[in-house]
Amino acid sequence: MVRIAIRWLVSSAALLFAVTALTFVLASLAPGSAVRAVLGANTSVTPQQCAQVKHQLGLDEPLPLQYWHWLYNLLHGSLGTDLFSGQPVTAALGTRIDASLSLIVATIVVSGLADVTVGTVSAVRGGVTGRILDTLTVFGFALPSFWLALILIEVLAVRVRLFPTTGYVALDSDPGQWLRGIVLPVLTLSAGTTAAIARQTRDSMLQVFGRDFITALRSRGLPLRVIVWKHALRNAAIPVVTTLGVVFIGLLGGTVLVEQVFAIPGLGEAAVTATTNHDLAMIEGIAFYFAILVVVVNLLVDISYAVLNPKVRVAV
Amino acid sequence: MFMRKIKHVVRTSSAALAGGMVVATVAACGGTSSSGTQPAASSTTGGTLTVAGELGPTTLNPETTNQALCDFEELAYEPLIVRLENGGLAPGLATSWHYAGTGNTTFVLNLRGGVRFSDGTTMTAQDVVNDFQYVVKAGGQMAPYFAGDSFAVTGPLQVTITAKTPNPDFPFLLTQDYNAGDIISPDGLKDTAALGTQTFGAGPYELDAAQTVSGSTYTYTPNPYYYDKAAVHWKKVVVKVMGSAEAVLDALKTGEVNLAEGDASTLKAAEQAGLTVTQAPLLWEGAVLADRDGKMVKALANVQVRQALNYATDRSTLVNALFAGVGTPTEQVTVPDGYGYLASLNSTYPYDPAKAKQLLAAAGYPHGFTMSMVTADYDQENLLAQALAQEWAQVGVKVNIIDDANPSAYEQAFVSGTVPSFIATYGQQPISIEGPGLFLPTAAFNPYHTASAALQSLYDQDISASGTAATALDQKVESYLVDNAWFVPVAATGIAWYATSSVTGTEVTTGAPLVELYQVEPAS
Repeated sequence: MVRIAIRWLVSSAALLFAVTALTFVLASLAPGSAVRAVLGANTSVTPQQCAQVKHQLGLDEPLPLQYWHWLYNLLHGSLGTDLFSGQPVTAALGTRIDASLSLIVATIVVSGLADVTVGTVSAVRGGVTGRILDTLTVFGFALPSFWLALILIEVLAVRVRLFPTTGYVALDSDPGQWLRGIVLPVLTLSAGTTAAIARQTRDSMLQVFGRDFITALRSRGLPLRVIVWKHALRNAAIPVVTTLGVVFIGLLGGTVLVEQVFAIPGLGEAAVTATTNHDLAMIEGIAFYFAILVVVVNLLVDISYAVLNPKVRVAV
Repeated sequence: MFMRKIKHVVRTSSAALAGGMVVATVAACGGTSSSGTQPAASSTTGGTLTVAGELGPTTLNPETTNQALCDFEELAYEPLIVRLENGGLAPGLATSWHYAGTGNTTFVLNLRGGVRFSDGTTMTAQDVVNDFQYVVKAGGQMAPYFAGDSFAVTGPLQVTITAKTPNPDFPFLLTQDYNAGDIISPDGLKDTAALGTQTFGAGPYELDAAQTVSGSTYTYTPNPYYYDKAAVHWKKVVVKVMGSAEAVLDALKTGEVNLAEGDASTLKAAEQAGLTVTQAPLLWEGAVLADRDGKMVKALANVQVRQALNYATDRSTLVNALFAGVGTPTEQVTVPDGYGYLASLNSTYPYDPAKAKQLLAAAGYPHGFTMSMVTADYDQENLLAQALAQEWAQVGVKVNIIDDANPSAYEQAFVSGTVPSFIATYGQQPISIEGPGLFLPTAAFNPYHTASAALQSLYDQDISASGTAATALDQKVESYLVDNAWFVPVAATGIAWYATSSVTGTEVTTGAPLVELYQVEPAS
């Protein structure tokens, strides 16, 4: 057990290092310059001013040294400072992670419940019903998310006015407005997950249904409902949980677009702004947060294996 | 002080001349003398005013923020001088001002007594001097206009600026249209890092940090110490950053937002939705023929070649196609009734491809030449680049377009002098301010540092002149730029403002083309 924990810690640290280092390099190679961004629309800027700002930002140092400074600060509990606002990156991102997690977790909950149900029904009912459900899941996956978002806004926000077109209200500020605010973005994000989760559920359920213990349960006269929801689904759950984990990680990227369209102040929106401004500290901070989330989700998925399958616990 | 700024122009780039534009200022072409009078404010108080824009600021520090995005901090910072809706000037934190002596080098400000910052401390003349010194030290967009100047307390409530070189436009530089007159409290100057996310001004509102998400939503509440409480019209002002013009329009349609800055792509839809749409001329948009010394493209050093490109440009067609309803054709780097504007200049280069070919042949380029041009994606700029390339191809000039969606990359490309021409959107400005930005050898929009003794002489005379003499010199500068074809201006445009019926005070004029947030009132 200890060995496994150590292995997990080492692999997680390696992942964090690789992600942040790669992000650092890629962000540095991107066209444009933080110096110009900092100087703004100054039409009279001199090369000396550029050099001064570059020095102030530490951008005149070699890239490995810049990364080392960032890493050193990280080990001392600091993700640096936003180049422009002067705000600590942790504070800047702290106000945003709530919005992103609200969207992602709500999407996972909605997708998990809806898609697992659809996949299960498709597997159990089969025939025309199954094919219709399968087609619908693929259709949802094929819909461009930006297009779907605009349609949802036009219909449900502008015309029917059930939901706000944009914005986000924190859960602890007003739960009702929080819920209204995330419905459309969550629907948008959920559409893209249907194929992966529902089809994985269906395939896993079909496999389980072909196994001997299901036949034995049927021969004992157990109702189909009990066989499906109590026995089959639990056995089919591991690949589904894995898929949910993958979907969760995919949603980290998916929120970038959705947060932009719905003007939600989350990490994705911050990522776009930081990249445009070449705000390396913010970019690194966001990459670090995303990497941490990936590590945590993978850990939760691993733990869920042990919960769902006693054999895994024995192996550990 | 909000959107009154011209600065807004750039909303494309929260960062740099993003989007390729520079904003400018407008203000009236008035003189530099004393004060005017602010109209009496009504005491109507509404609930929440929600305003939206496509881009957010990277900092709230008035001295380092992008001038185009200073709306976000100006609610909290009262300027020394207020530029009125009609373009005139009125007292702000200064009650009167004047130039001492001749030559436009000594500028005296008499300050309002009893002004308190939002933290309750009383503003002193020394605070204003300290602020001016910080303007220079901060190195922001206004720093070049004050660099080398000295600032002194010359009375209990008096400050004098002694300029290194003549500057006839101190009154304008100290209005809300620029940021140098936004005075910061002593606490703010002690902790300049905090200026990025907090406000330390003496304006009608102060930032509510608890309800603010930097880069996304900015919430302001009334400053309890503001000297003119009748001018505070809202219990709360929320400024939201939305990612697209469509999102802004949708939010206006549903009433989630009361007021927003629009653009050409949504103008008709806004009118069809019944929103109040206002706009006034502010910008010129076109090509900058930057390599006038022929360092990269030898042909551009020949004035006949540059004139040929102007003759080869069908401005009426381009405006109808790209700026219908928002722009008019122009051949000069100003807007109708703006600084240096001369109506006759707009008939200098009528569309005449045959004449263009003649000029190219006379210059030694009968078969044209090839050059590159960088453009941003702001406000039809990329489409304008494509259209110009097509038209110039008719006279043999091949243009390779570099389309930079990333505003920072675009800006770096043209500022670094690595491309001979670029598309720009530029706000009209007083010549004294425009020179260092647009056409003097050190200007960012003159990346090859082209120098002209004649133009420099006109500029030097202009900044020392006043009244009608200054106006005449403005026009001579403009004429020089047109005659020597330093640019290929295409359209004079404005910034559209969309408002719901819930608010008033969104009117704009040529003298004041940007809606001032603090002047917006509840309709009822």
